[in-house]
This record gives sequence, C-alpha cells and structure tokens, in this order.
Amino acid sequence: MAVREDPARAAAVRAAEPAPGWNQHALVQGLRTFARNRLAFIGVGLVVVIVAFSFLGPLVYHTNQVTVQLNLATLPPGAGHPLGTDPSGYDILGRLMLGGQSSLELGLGVAIATAIIGTVYGAIAGYFGGIVDAIMMRVVDTFLAIPSLVFLLIMVNLFTPNVWIIIALLTMLSWLATSRLVRGEVLTLRTREYVRAARMMGGTSKRIVFRHLVPNAVGVIVVNATFTIADAILTYAALSYLGLGLPPPHADWGTMLSNGLNYLLDGDWWIVYPPAVMLIITVIAFNLIGDAIRDALDVRLQRR
Amino acid sequence: MRTLRRLAIATVSLALATTVAACSGTGSGSAIGNGNGTGAPKGQKEQGGTVTMAWIAAAPNFIFPLAPATNTDGYNVNLTQPMWPYLVYNGDGGASAINPQESLYSSMVWSNGDKKITITLKPWKWSDGTPITSRDFTFVYNLLKVNYQNWVSYLPGQFPTDVTSVSAPNASTVVINLNHSYNPDFYEEDVLGFVPLLPQHAWDKTSMNGKVGNYDETAAGAKAVYAFLQKEGGDMTTFTTNPLWKVTDGPWTLSSFNTNGDYSYVPNKNYSGPDKPTLSQWVNTAFTTDTAALDAIRAGGSVDVGNLPLNDIQQASVLKSEGYSIASQPLPGVAAITPNLYNAQVGPMLRQLYVRQAMEYLINRQQIVAKVYQGYADPGNGPVPVQAFSQWASPLEKSGGPYPYDPAKAVSLLKAHGWKVVPGGTTTCQSPGTGASDCGAGITAGEALSFQLLYSSGQATMDEQEAAIQSSEAQAGIKIALKSEPFNTVVGQYGVCTASSHPASGCSWQLVDVGYDPYNLYPSGSSLFNTGGFNNNGGYSNPEEDSLINATEYGSSSQVFFQYEDYTAEQLPWLWLPLESNVWVYKSNLAGFAPLNPVSGGLNPEVWYYTK
Amino acid sequence: MTNYLLRRVGQAIAVVIGLLIVTFIMIHMIPGSAARSVLGVRATSGRIAIFNSTYGLNEPLYRQFLTYVDQVVHGNFGTSYQLQQPVSTLIAQRVPKDVVLVGISTVVALVIALPMGIYQAVRRDRPDDNLLTGVSFTLYSMPTFFFGLLLIAIFSVQLHIFPPEAPSATSLGGILADPRALVLPVLTLALVTLASFSRYMRSSAIEVLAQDYIRVARAKGLSRRLVLSRHVLRNSALPVVTLVGLSFPNIIAGAVISEEIYNYPGMGLLMYQASTSHDFPILLGCTLIIGVATVVGSLAADITYAILDPRVRYGRA
Repeated sequence: MAVREDPARAAAVRAAEPAPGWNQHALVQGLRTFARNRLAFIGVGLVVVIVAFSFLGPLVYHTNQVTVQLNLATLPPGAGHPLGTDPSGYDILGRLMLGGQSSLELGLGVAIATAIIGTVYGAIAGYFGGIVDAIMMRVVDTFLAIPSLVFLLIMVNLFTPNVWIIIALLTMLSWLATSRLVRGEVLTLRTREYVRAARMMGGTSKRIVFRHLVPNAVGVIVVNATFTIADAILTYAALSYLGLGLPPPHADWGTMLSNGLNYLLDGDWWIVYPPAVMLIITVIAFNLIGDAIRDALDVRLQRR
Repeated sequence: MRTLRRLAIATVSLALATTVAACSGTGSGSAIGNGNGTGAPKGQKEQGGTVTMAWIAAAPNFIFPLAPATNTDGYNVNLTQPMWPYLVYNGDGGASAINPQESLYSSMVWSNGDKKITITLKPWKWSDGTPITSRDFTFVYNLLKVNYQNWVSYLPGQFPTDVTSVSAPNASTVVINLNHSYNPDFYEEDVLGFVPLLPQHAWDKTSMNGKVGNYDETAAGAKAVYAFLQKEGGDMTTFTTNPLWKVTDGPWTLSSFNTNGDYSYVPNKNYSGPDKPTLSQWVNTAFTTDTAALDAIRAGGSVDVGNLPLNDIQQASVLKSEGYSIASQPLPGVAAITPNLYNAQVGPMLRQLYVRQAMEYLINRQQIVAKVYQGYADPGNGPVPVQAFSQWASPLEKSGGPYPYDPAKAVSLLKAHGWKVVPGGTTTCQSPGTGASDCGAGITAGEALSFQLLYSSGQATMDEQEAAIQSSEAQAGIKIALKSEPFNTVVGQYGVCTASSHPASGCSWQLVDVGYDPYNLYPSGSSLFNTGGFNNNGGYSNPEEDSLINATEYGSSSQVFFQYEDYTAEQLPWLWLPLESNVWVYKSNLAGFAPLNPVSGGLNPEVWYYTK
Repeated sequence: MTNYLLRRVGQAIAVVIGLLIVTFIMIHMIPGSAARSVLGVRATSGRIAIFNSTYGLNEPLYRQFLTYVDQVVHGNFGTSYQLQQPVSTLIAQRVPKDVVLVGISTVVALVIALPMGIYQAVRRDRPDDNLLTGVSFTLYSMPTFFFGLLLIAIFSVQLHIFPPEAPSATSLGGILADPRALVLPVLTLALVTLASFSRYMRSSAIEVLAQDYIRVARAKGLSRRLVLSRHVLRNSALPVVTLVGLSFPNIIAGAVISEEIYNYPGMGLLMYQASTSHDFPILLGCTLIIGVATVVGSLAADITYAILDPRVRYGRA
C-alpha cells in the first residue's frame, strides 16, 4: 500500500477492517478451519524453520560477526563461506542467522508491546464510550496524523541507538491502530448479553472490561499482533534504508538488505538476495498465519 | 542510494571557489590517473552538442553572485560561476594552478612589502558589449565594504575589512592597499578567489525601473543597491528572464531553470575569453541520490556525465562497454575524525596526545584505501592531501606520515601511561595522575577509553570505513560506539568547543566525522587548527601551532609551510583519515573533460567537445 | 446525523491544534541547533546569533508557538530556512506531484483489486485463488525500496524499456505528458497497495456471496455476471472504499522512499530533508496540511461507513 511508506497508517488502515464476531463455539470451529488451511500450514512451517535457522543455526555454524576483516571483504560464495562475505568481511550465512535473531526479536517485541498497550487503551475507550471514548480516540487521531517518518527521524536521533529504543519507537507507532481496532471490537461486544448480564450482576467496569470484553476480543488482537510482527520487520527495514537503523556491528536483515542494495547492479548478488529472501519469506509467513487466523475466526464464514 | 549524500559533491562546488597558489604544479597521478590516456578520444572535433550532467541533491536558489550570510547553499556557486567567473580562475586542465585563459586579469603585482596589489584587468567585454573596467571591481568593493556582514563568503578579518583603500587609476588597473602584509598565495586564495567582477553599468541601481547611477559610492546607496540585488537574486521565477542576469562576462548564459535543481546554459556569444564553448548546450540535472543518477546512466541516454560512487566501482567495466570512461579527481581537502577536546565526559582523555596517537596508530588507513575505496583515495597522512596538493605535501607526509598502522605501538603507548589494555574488551586507567607514566590530568581510576563516533549517514563507503575503524580500535580495547545521522543533523550538533566555552548544547559530541573539510588551493590551517578558529570545533589550542600557522599566512616559503604541516600531522588536532576521490563517469567521446584538476574539474564545459 | 457531524468537525479542529502543539514540541527536541544545521560547518558564532534572532529562535517556546499560530491565521506559513523560499510555494509545488503519483497508484490498484478480489472469492480455495493469494502475499511482503530498485534494475538498466526516473517536469501537465516515466513508480506503489486491497476485497466478497440475497438473485435467474457486477461488487467494495478514505492523507504526505528512488522530489522528500535540517517552517507547514488531510480523510471514512452501513452506530450504548 502507499501507506506502507507511513507505517502507522499502514497499521491503521489494516485496523479499519470490520472485526468479526466471536464466541466459544467459534473458537473450536476456528481452530479446525485453521488447521485445514493449507496456507496457514505453510506459514507456521516457515516460521518454525526460520526460528530454528536463526537461533539454533549459530550453535552449529560458528562465524565471527564482530570483527571487521577487510581482507575478506566481498568474497563470492565458495570454500569456507557458503554464501560469501559482505563488504566488511562478515560471513553472510552466519550474519543471516544473527540477523534473524534481531529481526524476530524486534518483531515479537513490538507485537507484544503493541498488543498490551493498544488493547488496554482501546478497551477502556470502547467500553466507556461517550466523552471518554471521544477524547481518547481523538488523541489517537492526533498522533496518527503526525507523519511517522518525521516522528521516527526525530526520535531516533534523540537516543543512543539500541534494540529497545527501536522497539519502543515502533510500538509508539503501532499501538494507535491496535487501540482503534480493539475499541471497535469492544463497541460491538459490549452490547452482547453476557456483558449486560455481568453488569446486572453488579460487576465493576474494570472487571467487565478485563474479564469479559478483552478475552472475547482476543482473536482480533492475535490477528493484529501477527500482522504487527510482519509490519514491524518491514518498517525497520525501511528505517535502515533511510539511514536510521542500528549501527554496526549489529546485524539484522533490514540493514543487510539496505546496505546490500548498494551493490545490486555490481553483480555481487550474494550481498543482496539472501537477506531479501529471508526478509520476504518471514514477512510472508507471518502474514499467512495472520490471514489464516482471521479467516478461521470469521464467524460469518462458518455458516457456509 | 540511501539518504542524500551531500559531502563530496557539495564540497566540489565549494572547492571551486578558490584561488590558486602562485607556484603551479601538477597533481600527482592517482591509481587511475586524471583521465590521462584513459580512453582519450581521438577523432574529429564536433561542433555543438549537448552535455547533460547529473548532480546529487543540488538545489541552487540564488543567482546574484554575492549571496547573503544566511544562504549557505553550496550549489549557488555552481550556478553563478559560469556566468560571472571569479577574478582568479582556479584549475587549469589537470593542474592545481591558475588558469590564465579564464581568469579576468592579465597581471597581478605585489609590492610595498606584500601590502599592495596592482591588478591589470584583461580588455574583455560584458555580454552586452560594454567593456569590463576597473569600475566593476570598485563597484564590488563598495558594495561589500558596507554589506560584508551579509556576505556568505566573508571571513572575519579578511576582505573587505583588511583593505585600507582601493583605487582605479585607469580603466584597466586596480590598486588595492591592505592593512598588513600577506602571503600572496594565501591572499589570492581568500580574496580574489571569491570576488567576481559585477557590471556596474547595469546593476548599480536600487529598483528595477530605476536608473543606473553611482549609488555604490555612498554607504546608504551601497546598502540600497545590495538589498535590491539580493532581493532580485532570490527570485527563482525570474532567473532566466530578469534582464539583470543577462549581463554576464563568463562563457555561459542561463537558458532554463526550475525549482527541482535542474538548469541549463547556452554559450554566451559575446564571451571575450579564448575558451569559447564548442558545445551548444550544457544541461545540469539534479538527482536525489547517487544511485538514481547511476541508474540513469546505466539505463542509457539521458546522462552524459555523472559520479560513480566508490562502492559501485565494479561497474566501471560495464560502463566502459556502454561507451563511458572513468576518471578520478582527488579532492582538495582533509578528511578526519574530530575529537572534542572539551567534552565533559571524555575531553580529558582526548586532550592527551598519546591517546590520540594510539587511536591514530590503530587506524589501518592503507587497508581502508585499498578495500573500502578500492584505491581511489588519498592516504590521509596528515593535514595536506598528498595527491590533490602534492606541491604542498611535505616529504614526511609523502612518505606515509608520522602514524602508519601499528597496533603494537598503540598498545605500548597506552601501557606506558598506566592503562590496563584489554584487547577486544575495555581498556581502563590503572594509574591516574599527572606523572610521566600516569594517565593524565582529569582522568579517574578505572575510567574506560570509550567514545561515541557520530558520523553522517547515506554513504556506503563511510559506513564501511567507520565499522572498520570501530573494529580495529577494539584491538587495544578502545571502545567506539557508532551513531550515524543525516549530515545536517550531525552538523546541527557539531558546535565549536573550547577551554573557555563548551556548553552542553553544542558540545555533547565526542568524536565527529562529517566527511571532509575542503581547502582552498593553498591548504592553510587557519580557522581549522588555530586557537579560536571558527572551524576548530574540537578546541585544539597550542601557541606553537598558532605561530606556525601565522607564519604560513604572512610569509611565503614552502619550508615554512612544511614546518607547519609536519608539526600539525604529529600533533593530531584531528585524527587523519583517507579522503576518497571523486570518480567521474563521462561519455568516452567527450574530449577535454579529463584530465581533472581537484578544484574546478567537471565544472569547465567551455573546453569540452564531442568527437566523432 | 448533523449533530454527529458538528461534533466531529469540532473534534477535528481540536485534533489539528493538538497535532500542531505536539509537532512543535517534537521538532524542538531534535538534537542540535537549527542555526548550525542550516548554516553548515563553517558557521561563525556571529552568524548563528544573527540567524537565531532573525527567526526568533531565542524566544521561549510558547511564544514562538503563538507567533507561528498568529502567522498561520494570517495566511503566512513562513519561509524555509534551508531552501529560502516561502513554505506555501514549496507545498504548492510538491503536492500536485504526489497527488499524481499516489493518486494514480491508488486508482490503478483499485481497478485491478476489485475484480481480482471478486474473482478470488468466486474461485475460493481453488488453485488459481491460491496462486493469486501467493502472489498477493509476496508483493505485500516486499520492502518498497527493494521492490522499486529491483524494478529499475530489470526494466530500466537491463531491458531499457522504461526510464529509471519519474517525470522531471515541475508542472502537472508536464508530468502527465511523460507516461512512460510514470510506469515504474506507479507500479511500485500500486502493486503493494493492490495486494492489500485485493485481500480485503476477497474476504468481503466471500462474505457477501454467502448472503441470502445473492442466492435469491441467482434463483431469480439473473446471470452470474450481473450478480457479480451489480450486487457483489457494490456490497463488498465498502471496506475497500473506507480504506481508500483512510489512505487519502498519503496523497498529500507523499511516499518518501519512492520519491527518493525515482528522483521525484515531492512532499515526502521535502519533509525528510526538513527533519534532518531543523527546517521548522516546512515541518510545521507540512504537518498542518497533512494533519488536516488526515482528519478530513478519517471523517469522510467514518461518515461513509455510517451512511452505507446503518447497523453501525456511534455514541453511548
């Protein structure tokens, strides 16, 4: 999407999709549908392979990813370096593994943080409605209107770059859309019988929100979180392309790809395509999973 | 291809605004030579033709040659120089020398103990047929005398404030009296390389419809004329139509201009100089990044001349097969990491010469030149680039400089001063104090040699270089944390920090690498390494250094210059780094482009022509 | 409804003001000084002082903000520090470029995605649906910068079919007069957008196809084509239309990566450059315009939704 250029809006746009309803019976149905979905199977399989590659790989395949060795710079694939070396002399296969760790940790970190913050915020807004909702959502609108690139450019330069800062910044962009999504879901759910019942039985708002509404919105939250992983990885890649990524000797696919693209026309294919392939496959995998979960949860589809 | 790279290209244009040393000399050949013999086109000279040049992130916005102090756009010089060349035109073919054909004067004589200059102007004419006279020089002087504070090229203490009087005894002679004696090389540098001649007969007025008069001769009038010209000079919509800008004395006339940074010239039919353009059009196109420009060259057809980023040097062979040649241009400047000697945290460590020496010993400059810059870089042996200004490079520098790569020496230096060296780890001070074998004043026990290097992003080779430096400093346990930010953001934090004044707002930086500092043709260290120099961001202050620099400005011998150079190279006010050359890609049948001199190479299409 | 509208417009104004305040605070947090950024490495302290006083940067923040608001209310958006031109001129020059690029990309994406989504819905879970899904996912998962550079490498440098840069004209007519140069940039943006539009369209169409009224229409004997184009299309396009409304601000905000790759200086690059060089007037002006566009787009999307889907209601339950 053109919105891809603006990561916060990409997520917001995705959140605009009307959320499907959900109930206990649908959960069982959903899991069955998910299991039957071939593409979901592929997605999960890919993620397993990638995680194994990134975290177990280095235990088997040892390379030095810290010391720059210019005498080994840009070697084509060959003996000792199955995928060649990059311009700093790092072995590319080994760097892909390390990069995978960073990229996955980043994606997961952002997704979890976003899910927590966005859910709490959105649930509160959706449940209380009225003025509270209006103010809370207008605050979200305000931050959504800030061009995310400008925001990131400013924020990145304020701090010493490390993974946590990047996770925090990307979360600051993604929680907005999640909150919108959860709020919409809660708006729908709160008219349900069990909520009215809980109210009549004297349940406090807090209890209702966290015991009843949020668990029923879990499906939507999970879908959103899965997509957030994918989006975070892509957004970070775009950040490193614009020069805002983490500095050496940190390794991650986004930086490897954007650095590698400098050599696209030079014939040094091993610097460009391996990180591109890893990045794209990982993002596809998470998108497939998220899409499949969403399909599985769509109650309206169950009826068919 | 990432962010906009402003370094090399912008500073080529800054470097253009230089003057030339009285002694000429040829630049020493670099790996590829200055294009000499590389596909030198043979064949018949073709009349006419269009050359399209690619510039990166160029956006000139001011056409009056004297720009206001707030307008530091380096590309304005590129825009105005072809129409109003400076009095002294610098760069002749492949040589860092004055160009006698394109300069506006025929002789310049120093007398009265180097305090008086007598300039004889050439009998050239403006494009409207009016002769160029000494009145045009006094016009410039009168304007600047009153408005120098609002002139971007003004350097404190120099032209026009160091002039006691200017007179024009006849139409072709200008006499300037200075308030003290100068090194003629140095003064021609700073003054006459930034001073154009302006058409008094057409521009000496205060409004578009007003009449031309001698307004510049009064202070109030000079102010009014300057304000008027500056107002017109910033109106981009009229650059090509305003009759003011049609009165030129250079080889070219502006034919089109748009706000993207694209502009083109056609030859000035009434140019008086001998180097009349053979080409019929010179087009300048702005590109966002060097990759976009390179893609345009590779895709074929639209770009004739452009730059080849060094990380793409492997494409040279493909480009050759597509009809292009490569030529390298050593850049006139010094590349370095500037240490902030007065940073609150790390200042005391950086102030110790042995610490800086250790850090310099750990930089493997030769390997960086070979592997990162593929051989197209000045080795960075000291403050003077040995290739671009070989006549000013001392024997010490030419033989490798005082600090060749030697990690063992670095380690022993640190150990000798009470540091516990942990290769790959963190080196800490074991023996604080001010004794001969102690760490030094202000350094506490257990303090680590740990610094942050802030550098400008957007260039693949710079990223690789800084990563290599980080890694090799780690051999002695010196920890360098890298932080890359866009160039302007770095510059915004790069304040000038001295012993007496180092506010946190501009002095929280520890080590900075902004690319390089361009030199005028006489590579004086003034403003860079002297106490209080406005470009002396690290705050280096040393009376001996100051007197050596002084001697280079107010005397004239290369011995004196070498003394300054060697001392500075040893003192390491900055950590010297390799300086990459500019590699040009140009159509093989474009003659006259190569060889390229460091200062005006690539900016003189009046001598280019296509061959059949 | 009018009540709701009025309330939303009021809130929209509040959002824009809030946006301005937040942006103002944010840009003043950029490390370093604006004077040094703009004047460059050779800035002398005298010049820095002149710069700061010329642009009022020594004033307390709140006063600078109020001065700015006052200026804006009188129609003056200030002058760019770096580019030395009025901000309104710059914006007026650049916005049409993004309108063309992003606008055309969105239209292209829609034109392909809508029928494709329906087609996929009809052929659900068959091999061609899976193939198109695979293609969609691959396109959607590519980083824009990689995709764009790859397209240039293949179609420009290797095959010489399309030029590697977008049209360099500065006028709208000039840009549109060079359609060949628009192909690659539009493709870069459209293909990614298309992928996401078609996913929504597909799931929406699947849902509509399961509705009773579709069965009724078929039972009545309406041709499949008619059913698809009239009933299914209109009903399943709703979420996509909402998406378009939400992406309206991008027409103004531009696409910085595509602009950089295709040498097409638009709003994206303008803001990017301004962020790196403390160019406050540009940052504030652009944020203001984009903020207004965002709020308008969001409001339009919400209203469209409310109008077209009466089941949705806002306010207290």
